Amino acid sequence: MEFLSLTLLIFLPLVGALIIVGPWFPRNEVKIRRFAKGFGGIVFIYSLFFLAFFNPQEPGFQFNETVALPGGKPWLEPLGVNFSLGVDGISILLMVLTTFLVLLALIASKYSITKRHKFYYSMIFVLQTAILGVFAAKDLFLFIIFWELELIPMYFLISVWGTGRKEYSAMKFILYTFAGSVFMLAAILAIVYYNYLQTGILTFDLNTYTYMKAFAYPTVFGILTFLGFFIAFAVKLPVVPFHTWLPDAHVDAPTPVSMLLAGILLKVGGYGLIRMNLQILPEILKILAPLVIILGVINILYAAIIAIAQKDLKKLVAYSSISHMGIVLLGLGAMNVAGVSGAVFQMMAHGIISAGLFMVVGVIYLRTHTREIPELGGLGQNSPKIMYFSMIIALGSLGLPLLMGFAAETLAFYGAFTSQAFSGFNLFNIYVPVSIQVFTAIAIIGVIFTAVYILWMFQRVFWGNMFYKWKKFHDASPHEMVVLISLIAVIVFFGLYPEGMTSIFVPTLDSLMKLI
Amino acid sequence: MELLNDIKIALLPESIMVLFIILTAVLSFASGKDRQDAIFYVSLTGVTLALLSMSVMDFSGEKEVLYKSFTSNYFTLVYRVIILAGTIFTLFLTKDYVKGFGKNKGEFYFLLMTASLGAMLLCGANDLIMVFVALETLSISSFALCGYTKSDRLSNEAALKYLVFGAAASAAMLYGFSFIYGITARTNLQEISGFLSTYEVNSILIIAFLLVLAGFGFKIAAVPFQSWAPDVYEGAPIPVAAYLSVVSKTAGFAVLIRFMTVLFPGVAIFSIILATFAVITMTAGNLTALGQRNIRRLMAYSSIAHAGYILLGLAILTNDGITAMTFYLITYLFMNFGVWAAIEILALATGKDNIDDFSGLGKKYGYFSLGLTLCLLSLAGIPVTAGFFSKFYLFKAVAVAGYEFMPVLVITLVNTVIALFYYMRIIRVIYLKPEPEIRHERVFRIALPVKFVMAICVAGVLLLGIFASPVIEKSGVINTTSQGIAVNQPPVSSQPPLLTSSPCLLTSPPLLASPNDGCGY
Repeated sequence: MEFLSLTLLIFLPLVGALIIVGPWFPRNEVKIRRFAKGFGGIVFIYSLFFLAFFNPQEPGFQFNETVALPGGKPWLEPLGVNFSLGVDGISILLMVLTTFLVLLALIASKYSITKRHKFYYSMIFVLQTAILGVFAAKDLFLFIIFWELELIPMYFLISVWGTGRKEYSAMKFILYTFAGSVFMLAAILAIVYYNYLQTGILTFDLNTYTYMKAFAYPTVFGILTFLGFFIAFAVKLPVVPFHTWLPDAHVDAPTPVSMLLAGILLKVGGYGLIRMNLQILPEILKILAPLVIILGVINILYAAIIAIAQKDLKKLVAYSSISHMGIVLLGLGAMNVAGVSGAVFQMMAHGIISAGLFMVVGVIYLRTHTREIPELGGLGQNSPKIMYFSMIIALGSLGLPLLMGFAAETLAFYGAFTSQAFSGFNLFNIYVPVSIQVFTAIAIIGVIFTAVYILWMFQRVFWGNMFYKWKKFHDASPHEMVVLISLIAVIVFFGLYPEGMTSIFVPTLDSLMKLI
Repeated sequence: MELLNDIKIALLPESIMVLFIILTAVLSFASGKDRQDAIFYVSLTGVTLALLSMSVMDFSGEKEVLYKSFTSNYFTLVYRVIILAGTIFTLFLTKDYVKGFGKNKGEFYFLLMTASLGAMLLCGANDLIMVFVALETLSISSFALCGYTKSDRLSNEAALKYLVFGAAASAAMLYGFSFIYGITARTNLQEISGFLSTYEVNSILIIAFLLVLAGFGFKIAAVPFQSWAPDVYEGAPIPVAAYLSVVSKTAGFAVLIRFMTVLFPGVAIFSIILATFAVITMTAGNLTALGQRNIRRLMAYSSIAHAGYILLGLAILTNDGITAMTFYLITYLFMNFGVWAAIEILALATGKDNIDDFSGLGKKYGYFSLGLTLCLLSLAGIPVTAGFFSKFYLFKAVAVAGYEFMPVLVITLVNTVIALFYYMRIIRVIYLKPEPEIRHERVFRIALPVKFVMAICVAGVLLLGIFASPVIEKSGVINTTSQGIAVNQPPVSSQPPLLTSSPCLLTSPPLLASPNDGCGY
């Protein structure tokens, strides 16, 4: 086995989970947490090696790896399934984001997790394995396996350590995601069967369906398949009619889990859209681009307006997540390199920024035990560090220039505005001459709303007069400082130097969009 | 001498079973009331020997024995192995459970082994009379097993209900047989098949098929012949309920597969009928399971739903579908016995069987809860458990059977979402509900045999998932000995490597009697 093995990277967290959960590991809380953090750090550093040895200019998948059964047979020969892994410029970034955020979530777990530590840390590691697997899977069957594997740890993470209506929220999360994924399963089986009819080969290999696809699907078949994929990812992203699980799950999950949920799990949906909908069915995406764009615009505006009205701090951040994910849809619907790059960049930026926002909410909740914005106020007086850190993260979220969010949003909006995806579309046989530029212009209004709710929230929480009961509100502890500073460092670095990130995934997208 | 030869080439396991059944019967009245426990070891030896004897037998090709009333081939081998493995699990579950039976423990093993003998004969039955006799051997023993706890009112109710429904189903099936006999004037399945191959499907044949389906549908608990299941599973002794939900069902599917592949290969109308039954069965089972509070009733509805999924494999009329069914039944053996073992552990310790009684187990009995959770997740079809792989393989088989099955597939997929909800509800109770104060003040000891079953089942659930490939190949019962049942085989230009439709036959009719190369397994 080579030094850089994706299989090892994926299953390393699982090994950590087994070490923690076994009877041989001491039940001491501090020892468990230290081990978990150390192990998370090792996984993060190991994943950085992949980034370092990744060659952006090389098209297609890298670090390809196929694990066979003893005897050299494919893993599931009767199904035509190979255990094959590989990463391209998009998935390598998301994998590093995953290991990074899991490490930070582990550090942030110190104060918010107070019971059943063995169970908690092993579940986090199982979740990490599942998400890394989704990003590295080069086989549709593997993709489904890892996609559904993440349900169980997430269910327990929300329902055991959460607050409020945690069991309800966890069940809602798992049912929504599972219901979405069965449509994806149907879509995958449909395209596999189509390929089987055409070529007589039963395979789930992703490359067969994307880069080297030899045929176009019939339109109606393609649209149905597209919708099958789209529903699964729309639930995850989430897209507005399917979003109702997200505020519940975010609000009731503990802080580190909210960070992971917003930071990585939503990205799985965006990744799926780019990997499956864009690459497998580009010709259908061209037809349905108006739908995607309209849903994106609705996402941006609707969620932003709802966020303004929120009194619960965590709900506000949750709705801001939905709003920001609309930009991913917009960039995707633009169907050009700039737009899709914007979508990917937005996924990365939102991953970091929303994790930061949830961390801030967690920090406040830990001290005040309330998330009601009217209950708070003037918190900045006692805790300047928390206030300034929160300010940078909040400004990043609303897209201030020179921070990470700005680069992402600008790229996506630029892509959408210069796109020639459609200049009008047929709605019930009536031609509606509304081009993508008009929709982009409408969507940009969302940026104003974002500024409104972020700044208003910030003002009501940190400025103004302080309630007497928050007199003992103390400043950030070292653990919180580490998490917040790491996130801010990334936000500022890639805000000043977006090239550092785009240089990794844009070549992949370039070669991809040429093929489409 | 012919009988001895028959035994040697085909009926070795059955003969061993018969010997040990007689031995068990004699021992149960010859030995004292306080020494009945020894019978457990005798019957365990018998079943194990029967299982082992299959390894020395040659299962390549077709062997028709007992005046052509029984066929032994690779298909019957696989199903007989599932049945015997299920019987061994049931025996282990019984070991500690029989304490509640009073002094008559011996007959229980006798009845259990007789039922298994019936099930094994059912797998290879090649004659209408044989089908009926084997089915009744299985059924009548099961009726008695259900009512074995005499003083328990629910057990008596279960036995009576099962008896009445069973008798009605058998009557319907016999009526169907009489139609078939009326059309063909033959009782041997091969001969009937030969006759029917030139016979156009008409309403009488469809009625006969439906009546026969009623008889088999009763065994596999398919809607609308399912209504006995919840009461029987709730009232019968737990090992018997486990036995009925796996072994009896496997036998029912085996005979149904043989009927479909031999008598009615590739008749589209029967495909539609079976698909309708499958969809109704799974939907009704899943929807009814949602409201259950008793874990045993819930498992009954869950087993109905699973019968629906499995039936789908038969409805699509491809070899791949039957392979998927077989693989599904193998995984079902492990996951279902795992859950029933857990139910028995709880029942032995607390005497309760409501879902709420599982509360707080997760904290106190970590490994037991983990095992139960894995089995439940497997039933729900969550990776990386075996249940996911068997479901996926089945769905793949349905998808590859043709686009006309796409709506059925989508309904099935939606059903799995419903199913996930009620399985998750149990898991939620195990891990999230605080434990009631009155219970568990003392830690209960889990009996070793039940623990053993649980461990094997969990290992099976995990390993069958990860190493599914060889097992799927082994469950390719029809792939290698296929009859041309594949009407919906996709029109591929080049032969796909995985769906060989070789001209070998499941049961070679007289005109192709020569042993065919490539049939061998």
